[in-house]
Amino acid sequence: MTGNNSVDAKEAKQAILDYCLRKGALAVGVADVDALERIAPAGHRPSDIMPKVKSVISIGVGGQTQGAWSVPAKAMGYFGSTESRAYTIAYGAAFFIEGRYQTPAIYCPPDMDNEKGPRVPLQSLKLHAEVAGIGARSLAGDILLHPDFGYMYFASIFTELALAPDQPMAENPCPAPSCVSMYRSIGRTPCQKFCPVQCLSGHIDEDGRQAEMHYDMAACAEMSQQYEAVPAVLAKAMAAEDTQSREDALFDPDNKMLWYKMSVGSGGLLAQCFECMRVCPIATQSPLADPIRRAKAKSEA
Amino acid sequence: MARGLSRQQIGVTVAMIDSYGDLIFQMSHNHQIRRGDPIREMDFTAIEARRDELGMSDGQIAERIGLSEMQVMYIRTMMERRRFHTNYFQRLLDLGGGKRFRQERFTAHEDRFQYHDDAFALREAMTFDPGRARHYAEQGWWADDTLSGWLARNVAERPDAPAVIFDEVVMDYISLAARVDRLAGGLHGLGLGAGDVIAVQLPNLPDYLVSYLAIARLGAVMTTLYMPHRAREFETLLGHSRARSVICLSDAGGFPAAQTALDLDLDKLQSVITIGAAVPGAVPFEDLAAGAASADKLGLPRPVAADPFLLLYTSGTTASPKAVPHNSHTMLGNARLGAAEHGLSADDVILSAPPFGHLFALYSFHLALYVGAANLLLPAFTPPGLASTIEAGRATALFAAPAHMAACLDMGLFDKHDCSSLTLAILSGSAVPDDMARAVDSKLPDCAINQLWGMTETQGGLYCRPGDGIETAATTAGRPAPGAEARISDDGELQVRGSMLFPGYFDNPAANAAAFTEDGWFRSGDLASLDDQDNIAITGRIKDIINRGGVKYNPREIEDLLDNHPGVVQSAIVPMPDKVLGERACCFAVASDPDIDLDGLCQYLLGHGIAKTKLPERLVLVAEMPLTPTRKIIKGRLSLPEPIHSQDPKRDETKNA
Ligand code: SF4
Ligand code: SF4
Repeated sequence: MTGNNSVDAKEAKQAILDYCLRKGALAVGVADVDALERIAPAGHRPSDIMPKVKSVISIGVGGQTQGAWSVPAKAMGYFGSTESRAYTIAYGAAFFIEGRYQTPAIYCPPDMDNEKGPRVPLQSLKLHAEVAGIGARSLAGDILLHPDFGYMYFASIFTELALAPDQPMAENPCPAPSCVSMYRSIGRTPCQKFCPVQCLSGHIDEDGRQAEMHYDMAACAEMSQQYEAVPAVLAKAMAAEDTQSREDALFDPDNKMLWYKMSVGSGGLLAQCFECMRVCPIATQSPLADPIRRAKAKSEA
Repeated sequence: MARGLSRQQIGVTVAMIDSYGDLIFQMSHNHQIRRGDPIREMDFTAIEARRDELGMSDGQIAERIGLSEMQVMYIRTMMERRRFHTNYFQRLLDLGGGKRFRQERFTAHEDRFQYHDDAFALREAMTFDPGRARHYAEQGWWADDTLSGWLARNVAERPDAPAVIFDEVVMDYISLAARVDRLAGGLHGLGLGAGDVIAVQLPNLPDYLVSYLAIARLGAVMTTLYMPHRAREFETLLGHSRARSVICLSDAGGFPAAQTALDLDLDKLQSVITIGAAVPGAVPFEDLAAGAASADKLGLPRPVAADPFLLLYTSGTTASPKAVPHNSHTMLGNARLGAAEHGLSADDVILSAPPFGHLFALYSFHLALYVGAANLLLPAFTPPGLASTIEAGRATALFAAPAHMAACLDMGLFDKHDCSSLTLAILSGSAVPDDMARAVDSKLPDCAINQLWGMTETQGGLYCRPGDGIETAATTAGRPAPGAEARISDDGELQVRGSMLFPGYFDNPAANAAAFTEDGWFRSGDLASLDDQDNIAITGRIKDIINRGGVKYNPREIEDLLDNHPGVVQSAIVPMPDKVLGERACCFAVASDPDIDLDGLCQYLLGHGIAKTKLPERLVLVAEMPLTPTRKIIKGRLSLPEPIHSQDPKRDETKNA
């Protein structure tokens, strides 16, 4: 059944998936709204922003190119604008659904929930993607990974059109076999070892599957996004005993990045650092992880 | 002033922050734990059971523990402020270049290197006029020259080329660099680092250059002690320079240098490094140079051109020292620009007669390192030693003081030894007598004789160029070096400025006040004249000018005549205070004829056309002259005789000298 009775749900789902893939999505899935409503906390459930929502469509687009992962320019790894491609497709998909099926659809805002504080998203796009079966939680701070596409950016579309939900992935690709070997030998996986703020830890069980994941998001966010740094630096400057210390606090070359971010915005340094992904075999070496691999696979096919 | 909601409005007390803070922080998203994979497995029981561990929103926490959502948000924010490491961002900046983050290799801000106060004070002394600095950089006179950089370039371009030749042993550039790298690592292991002053008192041995380069590699600062320096000079100079370490011989020709340094009561001096027999309490140089922890392996940062790396003393070695700091901009820029002017190349074999403790000798080394030439070493000057080293080492470029050459000429050494390999002889350190320059020129017909004028404050300031010809080279010190400017003041003083000029004396405001003109030119204290080809001749020292009742004259011409008198080996005329005339001339002389007297010398001078008013009025015979390392007479160390209060002041002191 759909909001618009004349719509063939099966055909509609296929048409929407095709639209998204045509526009550049690597993976598309439909999440089970009931499951989302049970898992997401109050205030962050799909129905909280779209009361009559019937379907949540999740799309994933490719993240970094092979070049971005491999070149020395570190800013490439941290570049946060890739997700805008996902949002563009999601926005178009919402228009596509309304135009073709005359049923309300929205592009789900990726924003933080301002009223709930800076670390709480309005909706968890990650949860949508996981339930829609296009990503599984990794040991790297629950970043979602896909066995074929590696590491993707996600966007969601909500609609009152009822579409058949997909299932979460049957297997979690993380940890990769090489990560299990490394864990067995040094007690840490690559993402855990190379995280600059050592905010990842955890265990792998005897079967080589995730047993426990610890993620110190406070450290990760502070490293990359510095939510708290600006007031802290200002407070330190105000408390400084002399002009020199005050100026050191405000104008040292590292803190200067803060002011750049706040003024002109240093986009490359606003996202997470993603060193965990730079060393992740799934993110960087999955068969379709980057455009070069995808092009090769296409030509071989 | 605008402000946010107060704690009183929100109803949060400090006690509440203390009581609930940890709990709220842990329950929030700040710390997340996931056991198993419950969402993917759609295991709703597990999801519910472990919801708290995945991190809760402020609303959920508020509901769970019975606070308002705003109170939770406030307390969480306070805890984040308390706990967050605002310096974490530096870890991101530590990455890059494909480098993986390694916790064990990361140094937090608070643990990073800091120049200690003395080192920072020396850096503060490197103050240049901003307009001039910009001009020098724009012209390329100041660039990224460093000794380490030059050494590394030579290793890359000519690893097997000879870098140091001593006593038939040749050290190539790659071996020199390896030894330097290890010694720098060893010095680092002693706790020495960037900005530290390290003194060196060594003869011209290979390890002098290794020490110098290792000190430079560390970003430390070398200060030099001359070989004749003893306990008094050690104390003054090591104290004034705030030296942290000294590298010296255990036995410097009977002088226990290392023990002397160890016995000093200087709180900054942390270590004494010795070459030679072991001295209890001192660190053997070889142990440091053979160490495994090289500077490169340790990842020690390389110095930059703006770092001070030399602190040299010009005078006042026992009181009121005049310390000249230089960085690579002033020193090495000058050498880089000078190398082409002198026509030097990697094929040259460069020999310095003066000791490396003197800047003229270091200049020869700077030039050699820049072009990648070989440094041929003469540990200590003797005329036969110099001539035989030229011959044996096939030296192509010689840096020497006029006195070195005069001594070789006197002994006929240029006839006895084959010095035909020389193509360039740069003479500096004191006034070059015209006839001596011509005599050398006639003995070495294929060698360009070039005068160079420089001071510790300027390194190579003026010089002749190889094509100038003996007429110019015998009578003038040539023209300014690239990047240097010279002018002659109304009272005849040579004044200079330019990219090679030191910034001012370290820790000596009185000396600085006297050293510079109001418009920033350095007063050399030398008298000079300009010829019609813009060549500058140095004609004497301002303070040597004799003002006899208002008649001022430069005694240099008279000294030159006296030096050619058959009974005189060396002479020096200095002003002598006089109640009637203000000053009179006193002649000091080293005599080869014990019977010479003042009347005889005056007759000789009158016979050579010297005016009566310029004749010396006292004669003091001395056994030897006090000399600088470049064998210049230190007139200030000649003791004036007691004044005479008779009507006729003319007096002969020869009998009581
Ligand atoms: S994004 Fe950076 S800080 Fe965060 S978990 Fe990954 S490596 Fe660590
Ligand atoms: S490196 Fe990637 S695959 Fe390996 S454990 Fe970490 S997230 Fe999983």
